[in-house]
Amino acid sequence: MADLDSLKEAVISGDANTAKAVTEAAVAEGIDVQVIVSDYLIPAMDEVGRRFEANEYFVPELLIGARAMKTSMAVLKPLLADSGVKPVAKVAIGTVKGDLHDIGKNLVASMLEGGGFEIVDLGVDVSPEQFIQSVQESGVAIICMSALLTTTMGSMKDTIQALNAAGLRDKVQVMIGGAPITQQYANEIGADGYSDNASAAVSCARKLAKVA
Amino acid sequence: MESQRLQLIACEVFTRELCAAVAGSSNQVDLKFLPKGLHSLGCQRMRSAIQDCIDAVPEGRYDAICLGFGLCNNGLAELRAGHTPLVMPRAHDCITLFLGSRQRYREQFDNNPGTYFLTSGWIERGDTDEQLQPLSVEHQTGLDLSYQDMVDKYGEDNAKFLYEQLNQTSNYGRYCYVEMGVEPDDRYQRETQRRADDKGWRCDTVRGDMDLLQRLLNGPWDDDFITVAPGQRIAASYDDRVVEAKP
Repeated sequence: MADLDSLKEAVISGDANTAKAVTEAAVAEGIDVQVIVSDYLIPAMDEVGRRFEANEYFVPELLIGARAMKTSMAVLKPLLADSGVKPVAKVAIGTVKGDLHDIGKNLVASMLEGGGFEIVDLGVDVSPEQFIQSVQESGVAIICMSALLTTTMGSMKDTIQALNAAGLRDKVQVMIGGAPITQQYANEIGADGYSDNASAAVSCARKLAKVA
Repeated sequence: MESQRLQLIACEVFTRELCAAVAGSSNQVDLKFLPKGLHSLGCQRMRSAIQDCIDAVPEGRYDAICLGFGLCNNGLAELRAGHTPLVMPRAHDCITLFLGSRQRYREQFDNNPGTYFLTSGWIERGDTDEQLQPLSVEHQTGLDLSYQDMVDKYGEDNAKFLYEQLNQTSNYGRYCYVEMGVEPDDRYQRETQRRADDKGWRCDTVRGDMDLLQRLLNGPWDDDFITVAPGQRIAASYDDRVVEAKP
């Protein structure tokens, strides 16, 4: 029988090969996909996040943990639609206009995916119009904006203003983060959430999606 | 014209430019350079290192303390003037000061995203600051590991993945050398070209402009600068003005 505890351990230690093998064995045995996701994968990523916040793990451990989780999810994906497993919420994420830095953005996207969110990754240099389009066309519930530079962070304000102007502001929650961003700036531009690290970003998104 | 006495506290990235500007200044300027590596420590540590320098300036000796920095990812935000006024350029970072104006930086930035700027100071200073490196954000978040470190720690498969993920300039494609006219010869330009060839990036040279750095030392401190009166602090303004003085 597939050892699901070893799947959890593989995600926590960032062992993508084991994660894949155990997931395939579990699927072959007909173990409920929802059980694999809800009882093993998401708790494993929560543990990765906990260790990060306790300074036991650093950014590389977050990345390889998320990678192992994604490898397992790729095996499960074809079965998810029939299994009744629903994403927590749909999130559009991007680095704002003029800014091409995406390590932090990719990390947050991976951690959110690991936390059960569905991710629409808009990439880098994302204009206010592109964020708006994601709300109109993909029906995202949360927008996550990242910026590394004080030069570009003003685009977060522009995007929120554009959401207001388009009459979409009450349809979507807005989260921001990145090196120069502070809670004070989030308050000033009317963002709903702010996080200073990728693990706390998951808790923040869960709160905004009202599942925490 | 009466000469002012100024204390300059500046990032070492401007060493060649500011020494040239001090030599030609009508004011009497004392120099204090801080390590370029402060910029990697995160805004709180950077701010407290600069604040310590400001607080150590003797009362009554200087007409003003000139800060040779940009906002530097909020590393200058919340600095407080004690007994002596502070003067600071309205600039997001040092590239504005090398290019000579906020407008020119904005044009460069908007027209050429993905550019890594280099100057003599960026090339010759700060790479091996052994005291500061353990405190850097990169080190503390595990981003400064070499490929071999990653292989040892996470195995070859994960190391390859991490090496790609943690490449901070993966979306960059151009080096731009800002020539300030104070260099001894073309050695920094050649080094820029060498780095560009190494990465397969485009390589350009643009002529810098000493105007903002010279005006920092000579005045006039017009709208391109803020003057922070005793008791006031520097605040990020989150708009085109970049910074403002606040009570």
